[in-house]
Amino acid sequence: MVAQPDSDVLWARALTHAHNGSPALRGVSIGVREGEILAVSGPRGSGKTTLLRCLSGQFRPQEGEVWFNSTPVHTMGPLTRERLRRDRFGWIDPEPVLVPELTAWENAALPLMLRGTGRRAAKKTALEWLERLDIGGCARKRPYALLHSERQRVVVARALVGAPTVLFADEPTAPLHRAERAHVLRTLTTAARSHGITVVLATHDADTAELADRTVTLLDGRRVNTVHLPHPPEAEGRAACSLSV
Amino acid sequence: MLALRLARGARPAVHLRRLLVTAASGGTAFLLLCVLGHAITHPETPARSVLRLAWCAGPLAATAYCAVTVARTDPATRPRPGLSAIGLGPRRLMALSAMTTALSGVIGSLFALFLFLHLRGEPERPPFTGDAARALAPGLPLPLPAALTLLSVVPAVLAVTVALALRPAGPGPWWATLAEGRGLLAPRGTGADASRQAGADGARQAGGSGTRTAEGPGGVRRTQPGRLGGRRLIRAGVRRGGNGSHALSTVLDTCEPALTATGAPAWEPDPYTCAAPQPAPGGLPWGVAVLAVGLAIEAYASSSGSAPALLLPGGFAHSSAGALAGWLLTTLGLVLAGPGLTHLCGRLLQAVRPGALRLLAGRVLQEEARRIGRPLGVLCAVACGVFTMATLYSGARHSIGPFTTLGGLVMVGCTVMTLAIVATEARDARAGTTAALVRLGAPATMLRTAALLRVGALLALFGPLTWVIAALTAAPLRP
Repeated sequence: MVAQPDSDVLWARALTHAHNGSPALRGVSIGVREGEILAVSGPRGSGKTTLLRCLSGQFRPQEGEVWFNSTPVHTMGPLTRERLRRDRFGWIDPEPVLVPELTAWENAALPLMLRGTGRRAAKKTALEWLERLDIGGCARKRPYALLHSERQRVVVARALVGAPTVLFADEPTAPLHRAERAHVLRTLTTAARSHGITVVLATHDADTAELADRTVTLLDGRRVNTVHLPHPPEAEGRAACSLSV
Repeated sequence: MLALRLARGARPAVHLRRLLVTAASGGTAFLLLCVLGHAITHPETPARSVLRLAWCAGPLAATAYCAVTVARTDPATRPRPGLSAIGLGPRRLMALSAMTTALSGVIGSLFALFLFLHLRGEPERPPFTGDAARALAPGLPLPLPAALTLLSVVPAVLAVTVALALRPAGPGPWWATLAEGRGLLAPRGTGADASRQAGADGARQAGGSGTRTAEGPGGVRRTQPGRLGGRRLIRAGVRRGGNGSHALSTVLDTCEPALTATGAPAWEPDPYTCAAPQPAPGGLPWGVAVLAVGLAIEAYASSSGSAPALLLPGGFAHSSAGALAGWLLTTLGLVLAGPGLTHLCGRLLQAVRPGALRLLAGRVLQEEARRIGRPLGVLCAVACGVFTMATLYSGARHSIGPFTTLGGLVMVGCTVMTLAIVATEARDARAGTTAALVRLGAPATMLRTAALLRVGALLALFGPLTWVIAALTAAPLRP
């Protein structure tokens, strides 16, 4: 067993995972340093989401190891991993999945309340984060009354409110337009840098990856250094058709 | 054949539900046959036989209610974009649901017939003896047309109810839909014409993006009633697609709303589109008013001492028509008040400075009040009836007959099962949100505790309430 490097807050070795037989990860090793923003890029289906889920303890990798702060995550039981996710990790979904029955601030305060923080303190912290993300005015609205970008910002606030050690963002800006995308990303990265939160950001967008300190590229479940995709060939038979007509 | 193939491939839980519908329809059909037996053995008192027949309406209604819930939550006949593309649109799916339900009903009725014949000792063996067996008219010839007519009642009622409940969304009431030739009973040509006309409208609205009615080269016909009243669209709720087919389902939502059956639940919960919450159910004042009126009528009718005009099953001698009407009104009030009470329960649960547990439990209960409240009200009404029967027959009076017990069992079983199915449906509808909470690290024990808290709160509110109302309704009927 190889020891975890000291500078790495999260470290994975030879992760292999398959979804119901279909391979998603084939021996990916990765190290995340403390306080950095790491982009995991790659086209759709390259295993980004699976990697993030393995790292955050949602999936137990079928082979390989995941270490968080010198603690093995891959050997933890479900309850311990659940507590780890609650106390140390934050998660942002590609789409804003909020609890539809709760208001924006209650959604944002949910991680704190789940940890047992008092309602008043949780509300105060959640409202502060909503203000920081420019959606303080929507705090009392339910998710259905919010715009898509506002919902996504509530999700960002919910992920940041508990001051997690590592924040996993799985394509956080995929459903947004470019202007909103830039805004959400900027707020996310600024907040992470100012609070020293490590961010693992999955994206297939080169512009998004530019905001990160370091980029790791995945292709077909393997880590690659550079992606050389072949140029799309000419449509087959086009020349023949043009000749024949 | 498609109904059979889909039925064969279903999950065991779905089969169990269908089996329970079969059992319920069998029980109801057996009751109807027993009424026939009573009519054969007592030809001199047709009025009493008619009254017994009328009392079969209760189990029949409970069976139909249950069958509609089972058909509504049946994954095999849920509207699917893939099936719609090959021509299995909402109308055909409705027909499929009706057919599956009718199949369950027919099987149940046939079982009832076999049991009835067996108990009568039909295939050359001595009939069963005893008071109850006498109602089966052993030894007397069974009029076959009458038996078949009675047996066809249950499947027919179930199929028609399911077809009406799951009719495709369209503007106006169901009879207008049928009259316009877009219903199940419409001749084929009329339906095609109407949908062609509608399809042209739809094509104009949607920019002709594949919504035209077209006779494809392979004979695949795509029909699209493009016109739709916004009211029904809102009522039907947005049909939600899963993760991958999100874009497709969004397109379908906007240009093919007829995919939605009116009663169909929001299957494949999509956490990405936040539908507006339903307003708080407003039936509570009406329910309380009807309940109070019912209690008053019952008390008045029993105190005025009018002669017993109705004979309830099992010799319910002290009941007058007024008291019975009051009793029925009281239970109706309970049914009406169900959603409002559930909402109130959720409201109380998250009332004063709630933490995560009470917040999740209470708000979800408030949101699901409409879905859960109605079957819960029906269950309370049935429980009320059972309580009344139990108190009335607990004394020195003769015990409840086997047929009354059977009818009661059918009703209780159907309502309990409906409530269970609806609770499962509510859980499935929230699966996306629950998964998101788990990703956040919400403890599974907390989610389970929240569910238990909801159940406990409902029990704490509905249990004593039902008991009090049952005691109040039973008191005037007591001899």
